[in-house]
Amino acid sequence: MSTTVADLIARARAAFETLAATAEPVSEEFQYLADLETVWGARLKSVADARGADPAPVGAEAAIEALEAEASAITDPHRAIDWMSTLPQVALAALGEAA
Amino acid sequence: MLFMEARPDGRAVVYAHIQADPLVARAADLLAAGTTTQRLLARAVMNGESTDPEHWRAMFPSLFGPAAPAVGDPVRDRSEDLLAVSLAVADRGEQTRSQFRGAIVEALTERLLAERTGPVRRERRILFDGRPAEIHPYDVTVERDGAAEAWDCKWGARGIKGDVIHQLDDARRGAGAEGGKLLVGLVIFDARRSCEVRLVRERGPVALEGLKLIALEGLDRLAGRKPS
Repeated sequence: MSTTVADLIARARAAFETLAATAEPVSEEFQYLADLETVWGARLKSVADARGADPAPVGAEAAIEALEAEASAITDPHRAIDWMSTLPQVALAALGEAA
Repeated sequence: MLFMEARPDGRAVVYAHIQADPLVARAADLLAAGTTTQRLLARAVMNGESTDPEHWRAMFPSLFGPAAPAVGDPVRDRSEDLLAVSLAVADRGEQTRSQFRGAIVEALTERLLAERTGPVRRERRILFDGRPAEIHPYDVTVERDGAAEAWDCKWGARGIKGDVIHQLDDARRGAGAEGGKLLVGLVIFDARRSCEVRLVRERGPVALEGLKLIALEGLDRLAGRKPS
């Protein structure tokens, strides 16, 4: 069974949650982190709703795998916050979507 | 409204060395000609952990995958060059890479604005009736009679803070009080969606109608081009 867009969105959202957990100690950015989770979560969900059953584009699975590895490698909470903005953009680009 | 040189402080003297580094100019040249996805690649790599080029090639299939332009195509070559330059920035260590990233966004803004208008200057203060708008200089200015502009440049959405917004709004209102006009804005090398939520939270009493926001996806607008 081939990998679908919904499968990769789910993995991207899990990687995003990994970053959110790393970023959590930066308490003064609590509101910004919550805002990022709200807007990017909604954007990723909208793609899953619209194209979830579609087969993943060529190269997208490897891209998400690289994103997962990058998210796991980040230990600095401030860098994790920056990546909470970048990871969804990169995932969307790999899926052929605009940010 | 009068533009003038900022008096360099200690930080500015150190930062000037970063700004003059050939790596900054190289990155800015490539980014000015780049697509939105190429700019996203640069942001990811310059802010990333991995130093393995294959890791980043896998992450951007539209730039390096089977459907991407072939090696030797100018677009593909620019992707490869941007990857190499971005890894060189990332290799500088956390403190230095942070300064490089800021300098690159400023240099990129300068180049894009110069495609549309001029004269474009860096690190300038603005005086209104002899009164400085703020102590801190504006990163990039367009000093054109009747169509002046002042821009602050930031690497990421977290750089959008209340004092930055206030500084730009102060200059815009100062120009208006003189009967003039000054376009003010933020150039943020980050996703528009992230910038918008940050801006709304940080704006305080400032009305956002008078403040332009140029995010990563819309950088070509600075040059008067449609987003690539």
